[in-house]
Amino acid sequence: MNYVKNEIILSAENIHLSYDKKILREVNLQIKNIVRPDKADQGQVVSLIGRSGIGKTQLFKILAGLQKPSAGVVKIGADQHPVRPGEVGIVPQNYILFQHRTVQQNLEIALRQSGQKLDDKQVKQIIEENAENFHLREHLKKYPMQLSGGQRQRVSILQQVLAGNHFILFDEPFSGLDVLMIDRVLELLLKVSCMHDHNTLIIVSHDVENALAISDTAYILARQEGQEGATITETLDLLHMGLAWNPEIRKETRFQELVHQIKHKI
Amino acid sequence: MNTLKKLFEPFSVINRKTVLLLIVVETLIALAAWQFGAGALIPTPTRVLESLSKIVNDPNFSFWDNFMSSLWLTAKGMGISILIALMVSYLALIPVFRPVAHFIIKCRYLTLTGLIFVFTLLTQNGGQLKISLLVFGIVPFFVTSLLSIIENINRQEYDLCRTLRMNSWQTLWEVVIVGRFDQVFEVMRQNFAIAWMMITMVEGLSMSEGGLGTLLIKANKFIDLGGVMAILLVIFVLGIFFDFLLGTLRHWLFPYTKLETAK
Repeated sequence: MNYVKNEIILSAENIHLSYDKKILREVNLQIKNIVRPDKADQGQVVSLIGRSGIGKTQLFKILAGLQKPSAGVVKIGADQHPVRPGEVGIVPQNYILFQHRTVQQNLEIALRQSGQKLDDKQVKQIIEENAENFHLREHLKKYPMQLSGGQRQRVSILQQVLAGNHFILFDEPFSGLDVLMIDRVLELLLKVSCMHDHNTLIIVSHDVENALAISDTAYILARQEGQEGATITETLDLLHMGLAWNPEIRKETRFQELVHQIKHKI
Repeated sequence: MNTLKKLFEPFSVINRKTVLLLIVVETLIALAAWQFGAGALIPTPTRVLESLSKIVNDPNFSFWDNFMSSLWLTAKGMGISILIALMVSYLALIPVFRPVAHFIIKCRYLTLTGLIFVFTLLTQNGGQLKISLLVFGIVPFFVTSLLSIIENINRQEYDLCRTLRMNSWQTLWEVVIVGRFDQVFEVMRQNFAIAWMMITMVEGLSMSEGGLGTLLIKANKFIDLGGVMAILLVIFVLGIFFDFLLGTLRHWLFPYTKLETAK
């Protein structure tokens, strides 16, 4: 595999979160810009894997700048400034959209917030092209309530893409989907990661196999014995391990062994 | 037999036709019980209908003038009240105005009867007095309902706006004002009964301008029970009509309110 890991583009430094008890403890992670000389447009996929109730969603909000940690800081960009809301897109587990707007209007709002100067014709054209790519063209006039879970998820992802967010966080993107739908979501995530070399998708999930199957890097969020609060207990450099960028990765014994190991660790 | 059994089972789902049939049968039973069990004092449905016919047709009652007077007062009162309530509710999201909104909510415990004198001093004629009292009486209920809707908005909607780089004013516009405007109609529907109750009361304060409330007070004064029931029937039917009208308007203006989630 031909790649170079350059500068840090997102980092979490010593994140702590406590309410009446400690939720997160000393969470540290660094996401570096991965460059593939042979594939200029490829971004990357990073997974944060942990079991349910461990504090993944809280970390998700902290990484997006939507929640302040009790201590620590999340930094973003080449200059590593503290993250602000709007710099990281989110696709929540329940795919929140504006229910009073049609799919087209939901996407229009996102595109107009991207900061690009576009006239109505350009907005329409960009939305139609992207909707085609995301298999949403026939649903543009519908309201979110008329869509299935999978369709809503696609609108939610496209909304964040059109808003110009290169960092997109996904909260449990495989949750509640059947096998066929999971394959489609995996395809879609890879498609989004390959739309721009700066695109960095961060998947927060308890689904070890699916998350690992498309990731370049995976962080394991778990509790350590005798310690309160979850922390990153392991970092898996799947590129270095030769377990990334392979659509047939599930067929490899090494991959299945890794999945088995991680399932026991979380 | 199975359908009949379903009618007495909790959480049973019955079809629209059966629901309609139930309404008709139960209404007929209620009317029959009223007709044959009313006794000598309480007017029977047939007497109420006779009184209604008399009130509508007798020029001395000026029914349609009184009817229109009440209708106009309702529309004006509801219109002004909802505008004030909306303004107060939206402003409640700005910290400096929050105490004012919460004070207005508490004003629903103030009885109008005790404030008639104050409002009489503050207003210049009977019409103004009626509207002022009506608005003062309805606004706290509207604000209570509107703030409850705002408080129940899913936090994730605000998060979505923040990730789309909307500022706080854009978020207020998209999520609270535009996103919940359909529910204003629902609030009006729910509080319409309170408005009607107040209309009949305030109309009694300035009887020169007439209204259904004036007719009601006069009928009570002369112990015309048939007349009282007939006017109550008109108010009841009008209330149901407004309920239907506001519901239909809501669905027509905001089509997404009648959609069901895709399976």
